Amino acid sequence: MSLDTLHVEQVVQGIKSREFSVEEYISQIFERIEKVEPKINALVTLNKEEGLNRARRLDKKIREGKQSGPLAGVALSIKDNICTKGMKTTCASKMLESYVPAYDATVIKRLMTADAIIIGKANLDEFAMGSTTEFSRYGPTRNPWDISRVSGGSSGGSAASVAALECTASLGSDTGGSVRCPASFCSAVGLKPTYGLVSRFGLVSYANSLEQIGPVGRTVSDVVSVLNVIAGSDENDHTTTTNDSKPTYLLKERNGLRVGLVTEFIKGADSAVSKVIYKAVDTLEKQDCNCEEVSLPSVQYALASYYTIATAEASSNLARYDNIRYGFDMNPEGYEWNSYFARARSNFGEEAKRRIIVGSYVLSSGYFGRYYMKAHQARSLLKHEMENLFQRYDVLIGPTMPILPFKIGERIDDPLKMYLVDIDTVVANLTGMPAVSVPAGFAEGLPVGLQIIADQFAEQTLLDVAYSFEQAAKVQRSPDL
Amino acid sequence: MVVTIEEVKHLGWLAKLEMSDAELQRYTTQIEDIVNYLNKLDTMPLEQAEPIMLKKKFSELRKDTPETFEDRVLGTAYMKDSFVKGPRMI
Amino acid sequence: MTTIATKIGLEIHCQLTGAKSKLFCRCSSDYRGKAPNTNICPICAGLPGTLPLLNKKTVEFAAMISLALGCKLPDEIAFYRKNYFYPDLPKNFQLTQYNAYNITSIGVNGKLEYISSKDARIRRVQLEEDPGRLVYASGNMDTSVYVLIDYNRAGVPLVEIVTEPDFIDPKEVRMFLDKITSIIEHLEICDTKLEGSVRCDANVSVDGGNKVEIKNISSFADVEKALRYEITRQRTMASREIQVRSETRHWDDARKVTKESRTKEEEQDYRYFPEPDIPMVVLGSEFVSFIKQSMPELPDKRKERFMSDYGLSDHIAKVIIGNKELADFFESAIAVYFSPKEIANWIVTDLMSFIDERTKKEEEEEKEHSLFAGLKVGPEHIADLARIVDQNMINRATAKQILGQTVRTGEMPSALAKKMQANRIDDVSVLTQAVQSVFEMEQAAVQDARRNTNVANFLLGKVMKITKGKADPKIVLEMIQKKLKED
Repeated sequence: MSLDTLHVEQVVQGIKSREFSVEEYISQIFERIEKVEPKINALVTLNKEEGLNRARRLDKKIREGKQSGPLAGVALSIKDNICTKGMKTTCASKMLESYVPAYDATVIKRLMTADAIIIGKANLDEFAMGSTTEFSRYGPTRNPWDISRVSGGSSGGSAASVAALECTASLGSDTGGSVRCPASFCSAVGLKPTYGLVSRFGLVSYANSLEQIGPVGRTVSDVVSVLNVIAGSDENDHTTTTNDSKPTYLLKERNGLRVGLVTEFIKGADSAVSKVIYKAVDTLEKQDCNCEEVSLPSVQYALASYYTIATAEASSNLARYDNIRYGFDMNPEGYEWNSYFARARSNFGEEAKRRIIVGSYVLSSGYFGRYYMKAHQARSLLKHEMENLFQRYDVLIGPTMPILPFKIGERIDDPLKMYLVDIDTVVANLTGMPAVSVPAGFAEGLPVGLQIIADQFAEQTLLDVAYSFEQAAKVQRSPDL
Repeated sequence: MVVTIEEVKHLGWLAKLEMSDAELQRYTTQIEDIVNYLNKLDTMPLEQAEPIMLKKKFSELRKDTPETFEDRVLGTAYMKDSFVKGPRMI
Repeated sequence: MTTIATKIGLEIHCQLTGAKSKLFCRCSSDYRGKAPNTNICPICAGLPGTLPLLNKKTVEFAAMISLALGCKLPDEIAFYRKNYFYPDLPKNFQLTQYNAYNITSIGVNGKLEYISSKDARIRRVQLEEDPGRLVYASGNMDTSVYVLIDYNRAGVPLVEIVTEPDFIDPKEVRMFLDKITSIIEHLEICDTKLEGSVRCDANVSVDGGNKVEIKNISSFADVEKALRYEITRQRTMASREIQVRSETRHWDDARKVTKESRTKEEEQDYRYFPEPDIPMVVLGSEFVSFIKQSMPELPDKRKERFMSDYGLSDHIAKVIIGNKELADFFESAIAVYFSPKEIANWIVTDLMSFIDERTKKEEEEEKEHSLFAGLKVGPEHIADLARIVDQNMINRATAKQILGQTVRTGEMPSALAKKMQANRIDDVSVLTQAVQSVFEMEQAAVQDARRNTNVANFLLGKVMKITKGKADPKIVLEMIQKKLKED
């Protein structure tokens, strides 16, 4: 039996009912990794020995009839910007080449308590800055559907490893679309939760006011199972909601909802993409959903606002990487401190350096009012517009990405051109609202994702629509690798 | 809107980023493009949009109870008598 | 003498040693005496992925100082990042507060009366974190080949108090700093005796010239010295018509001069922006009254209470509240035996002189202890002393003597008094002999004494001397006077 094709609940049930052992399943997972990893380069670090040990310990626990967690045995890959105690966490950067965290991120603690098994750390754009995983020190992650093309980013490793059956689910992070973009490009389901729903303690900060850790899976059900374990307030993150109750999301279909198709998103997409999206609209209408086009005028400022805020926060968040307390091996003796810092930090990749400079620029005196403050005003304009729309619609939809997955290297020399692909996804980060990408179909043999956005903390509605659509659309899940 | 090499150099100094001449050239043109794109914000309607602020009650802040972190925190090999060794100050 | 107008402003940093944990993490705020880098955690060491967790107590303390300095408290407070690089700064930004864009720090626009009818305006009070410490391998920044960094202090909570340039001479500054010290101690938010717990930067301009900032002044005591030096330097330049440059100078404690800081080639830009990981803290409408209620009594209020409830004079009350330990000592003493004026008097005159004596010795060694360190006297001793004086057990002269002994040995005055009484020689035969010896030795004086009764005291003194002070002076004097009449 191909255990690597199973979904989360199937794994949990199968293990519980002793249909197969955890060790069997995890071994198959590592076999699969060995087979396809050379083709896709999705994983930075493998956790084989510890993973198999954990599997054996869990098997023993189950044999002894002890209670096991809701994700017992499930193989997960974790984006390599989420801190795992004792396991290297590099953010795909030379600056953290030998960094081994002294603590686990809150989401990792929760996964461990749920008895999940981490099989490895997933590849990403350096410090999560990018949309294709081409800015990784470890080389790009290739799209399992066409390995000459990008997998999307920055959580490319997460989506590709899930799509290629290297794991059953994954955790990525989404600052401007970094979970949804690769999910769309790799035909997976990727969720960015409401800002404050999931703890960021242990997520290496890129842009703190925009990002969230989000689950990636092959189905909506997988994403819900993982979300239920990681969501909920955390005393170690003051930006999480202070609502004490731990949220639990259900998997259910819901028809007859009011859906708004955002004009600016659909009109800005390539025709190959929009064709698939219009078909998705038909599918939804067959589920008794009322779909109509609606305008979101503030979208025109969204990218500028996003890149202003993100680079500003990044320039400050990345300042701590001076190689003094942790990083890579470079002896400080013989240097004067300014030169040491500058020399050490010259080891950032190009995109990281660019964003640090742009961020410093927009924060510098003289420009602060013009860029940073205006960007925040744009955020709130956008939020008000969307909140108004959510009075009339349950969800807003559109393509996750305006284009199909492109060839590796195609946009890498034109940063601005690269930034433009985020146009549909940044809106949810700027407003803190939850958004999910679900596979909508294929065009020219390449995946197209449907993005669904809901109001803050309306994850249940969001997931209802996603699940209903998924059940109706029945899009193929696994590539030939 | 022109972004000069001098400006990028100064920002590099502020951010402690060493850049080669070739990098400086390349980045300056790229950053100029990006900054020009960001100028879109100038075309925003001048409504009094209040920036969204996350809020927290005073009572929800962390209690003043000390705790020791038991595990090893620092990752550098360059230490002396448990001080971290750093580059000289001048 | 001064026709040149001097303007001095202060920037005081005060560690909130009263808080048990650091400002943004759970590490102990007590870092002194610990081995380097043993009082740290991922948050204060600036490890990737960590987030700041604001300490509730520090907000309370900062609010107390703000209120004590007459500042206005905002409804909400925010934290900002001050971005710059330095080896003692784990995140290469400092979390602090800022006043801009309609947001204020924990206190603004206050004022403090520090001499009667003289106010200093307080521009702002803000919370911020202390950086780590740099230690130079060879003891000297200039010759060290590498620097040694200890992050134990990183993240310790600080309150920064900034004044307007309202001081016109260093003496005023000293008085202001004394008052601030008294307030901080009464609020129990900072133990100012701990080394480095209070620091003060100053800025000074002379006759409308450029303002010079003086940094690296390590104690309040040095502020006066640094200011005097700098004012002289600026005046000298002015008299030679050389323009004073607007700059930051370093106080060199060893050479007692201000030195030019290393000039920076480029202009610093802190790129302040609000800290995204700390939401705006809503203090709430009940906050001010909550703080006022839980605040310890301020020194001025305490002084008023001493005067009205205990009938102390203005001067005496002032001396006692000048130091919190002294004021606490006083109240403990009167709790044992309620005689406030008597006890206050003993404290302010005799006890203070013992303390001053010992303090002078210590200033040479530069140690700063508790006020009563080295003295074995507690409130109960003074209470006891006041009681036996009130009850006429002993006279004042003897009481002073007894106090001197108590301070050295810690024995209770009443016990000492009893001992003195017990040691007193009142055996008439012994005394008669002593008197006889003195009369034989001091024949000239005896003659004088017959004409002048006061000289009898001289003879008494001689008897006391040969009896080594143990004779009962009352009895001896009677004997002497009797004997003088006899012959």
